[in-house]
Amino acid sequence: MSAGLVLAGASYRYAGALGAALAAVDLRLEPGRVVGVAGANESGKSTLCLVVAGLAPSVIGGRLDGSVRIDGVETAATRPHELAQRCGLLFQNASTQLSNTTATVLEEVAFGPCNLGLPAAEVVERVWWALRAVGIEPLAPRDPARLSGGQGQLVALASVLALRPSYLVLDEPTSELDPAGTRLVAEALARIAGETGAGILLVEHKTEVLAHIADDVVVLERGTVALSGPAAEVLADPRLVELGVEPPAQVRLERAVRAAGLEWSAALAEAIE
Amino acid sequence: MTAAGSPAGSAAWGSTAAVPSIELEVVSFAYPDGTRALSDVGLRIEAGESVAIVGQNGSGKSTLVRHLNGLLRPTAGRVLLDGRDVRRIHVARLAGLVGLAFQNPDRQLFASRVSAEVAFGPRNLGIRGPELDERVQAALADTGLGAEAATNPYDLGYSRRKLLALASVLAMRTPILVLDEPTTGQDARGVARVRDVVARAAGEGRTVIAISHDMRFVAESFRRVVVMREGRVVLAGAPDVVFGEAAWPELGAAYLEPPLAAVAGARLGLGATPTESAFVTAVGRRRGGATAGGAGAE
Amino acid sequence: MPDFARRIPVGRYRGLHPVTKAILAMVGAIVALGVRGWTGPAVVLAAVVLSGALAGVLRRMALFALATIPLVVSILLVNTFLYPNARDAIVTVGPLSPTWTGATAALQATMRVVAFGMSAAVFALTTPIDDLLTELERRGLGRRGAFVVGSALGAIPRMVERAREVVDAQRARGLDTEGGPWRRFKGLVPLLGPVILGALGEVEERTMALEARAFTAPGRRTLLRRLPDSRRQQLARWLLLLGSICLVVVSLSGVVKLP
Repeated sequence: MSAGLVLAGASYRYAGALGAALAAVDLRLEPGRVVGVAGANESGKSTLCLVVAGLAPSVIGGRLDGSVRIDGVETAATRPHELAQRCGLLFQNASTQLSNTTATVLEEVAFGPCNLGLPAAEVVERVWWALRAVGIEPLAPRDPARLSGGQGQLVALASVLALRPSYLVLDEPTSELDPAGTRLVAEALARIAGETGAGILLVEHKTEVLAHIADDVVVLERGTVALSGPAAEVLADPRLVELGVEPPAQVRLERAVRAAGLEWSAALAEAIE
Repeated sequence: MTAAGSPAGSAAWGSTAAVPSIELEVVSFAYPDGTRALSDVGLRIEAGESVAIVGQNGSGKSTLVRHLNGLLRPTAGRVLLDGRDVRRIHVARLAGLVGLAFQNPDRQLFASRVSAEVAFGPRNLGIRGPELDERVQAALADTGLGAEAATNPYDLGYSRRKLLALASVLAMRTPILVLDEPTTGQDARGVARVRDVVARAAGEGRTVIAISHDMRFVAESFRRVVVMREGRVVLAGAPDVVFGEAAWPELGAAYLEPPLAAVAGARLGLGATPTESAFVTAVGRRRGGATAGGAGAE
Repeated sequence: MPDFARRIPVGRYRGLHPVTKAILAMVGAIVALGVRGWTGPAVVLAAVVLSGALAGVLRRMALFALATIPLVVSILLVNTFLYPNARDAIVTVGPLSPTWTGATAALQATMRVVAFGMSAAVFALTTPIDDLLTELERRGLGRRGAFVVGSALGAIPRMVERAREVVDAQRARGLDTEGGPWRRFKGLVPLLGPVILGALGEVEERTMALEARAFTAPGRRTLLRRLPDSRRQQLARWLLLLGSICLVVVSLSGVVKLP
């Protein structure tokens, strides 16, 4: 049994769909690492999230070929509530993820552990741990329905963390957020990867965020892996643009200066750090 | 059918002269629950200007633009289009003057075909027949949805649904175009499309106003930037002013950051370089100056 | 667990266990609707006014009372004018002849409806829904049942917000919501469409989000909150319920004549 979340030749087709949404994807996520996923819209990023987290096909149906293993266990053979404790999943929009049945953030974050039937004292301990990991302890008494977008997304993140998954999958968690909210989420993710040892798969359009916190980056195109490797290399790859991905500002500036026939000096490199 | 709306839509569009100026006179607005969303906002937008409104979520941006087409009425102050109080302009006529594309496309998509969705707005303005078809096709082409006319809107992914919502407002050909967060959820190609739409509309002499968190888009596509914080306009000016070093403290107080090109330009002492092309030009000028022995040859 | 999450209700009436308050409302309904004569509704009305005053919700109860007006008016009219076989007319105007019998019956029926409504109002105004759901779940209501009720109620303000945005978005596209009935009817499709389609579209994501939060785990959920209960309240609940049923049986059987 080997640690890591591993996709080997994973292909997936939605129920009723003609073509495959993912085709022969190989991917490896180690504990404590952050793997970024980029790609044009409808290139299979969201599908990848559902497959990695095991919700496809177990919850939404469809057909999965190849293997998806979390720490050596096939997701196809694992029940959803067990998967939830191995791999947590966060969507774009906080409002659809919160249960809508709780009066305080504390109870909202407790929703998952309560579902497991854990003793109340352990539930409360996990909640405080998750709130601390995300850095939102002061929000505990607040009403989840009255949070800003960024705060809501952090509460949703804590809610997933409270199930103590070894891996986290995040599908564009910052796309609806303002710059301050984006920064909050990015910082929280970096902290979680560093402190809890969770492996994180992060789908993100904002490549600056990936440049900041991802160790490796995978670029998808029409359901297949088009590029993969260390973040700095992939994000500087000249093919990124034609794959529909905006390179980070640092890369764009350097490229534009060179394209103008100008030398990229050390002083310039320092100015964009 | 919409007799009240028909003259507005067809007559208003066509010449730059029909584009009204916008003036907000010390506008304040509080929601019925007492939340104060705008405080003494004064803002004048000339005909044909392109203006970006930036600020944190909840700073009053969306509330402000809803005042331009009469969806919200100020609790105090006035909103004027060409000097006329919008209160006195019928809502149906306002819809022909100010097109507003909302942030969330799913709050408006209802038709079973993409083309019908796009036709809804202009049809409400009284447009029929070949002109309606032409408008629908042009709007779909501008947003890259030309091949999807017969598709069900909900079969499109979120980013293309968002472009569809944009197309449905473009087809109304309003002299004033207001876009709420047009680039969120878009990939590089989608952002490029939105940028083209803004450039084309501005090139045609229409007024374009956009709310955005994307500072690069803001700096590159708009002539003026308005910064909002807690319901007030705290900073306004051209991108090189708003993103210039002197304005950084105010930007920071509004929880915003200038684009990297502006930061790098300031660090290198190149002056204001809000856009990447301005940055490259400034770097080139500096080098040019240096190779000419500092004699300032340009 | 901190107090803000424990949320122990305080006050002489509000502080009662939610199940006790639910039973009181139920007993109010049984007695108001089931006991013959004037005694039932009169006793219940007195009791709800007293408990409403204790809980400090009398003013808001008045709003609930307003809501019963259409029903009350129709009861009064129908009974007064159309009571079958009643001959003691108060006055006869053409074909209309209101009767004393009808008026009396109408007044009594009105009292029953108002007493029942007010007893439900006291309950609704003094018991947060999640208090009741927590305690019902403790008593064996399944996690799905509790979630369906709780999330449906929680979704109402979001649906209102969504509907408001849809109206704004369509008005911005020139939808004219004023005018004749046909135009208004045609305006319904673009208004209802996005509300319904949007909600349906969210269902799948919500389902997945629930699965991702281990909602389908087997066994009982942990219930974090426990609201204070007492032997006295438990005993009182059973006695009240049994007592009210006995009262209805006795009154219906006619063994004891109540006024």
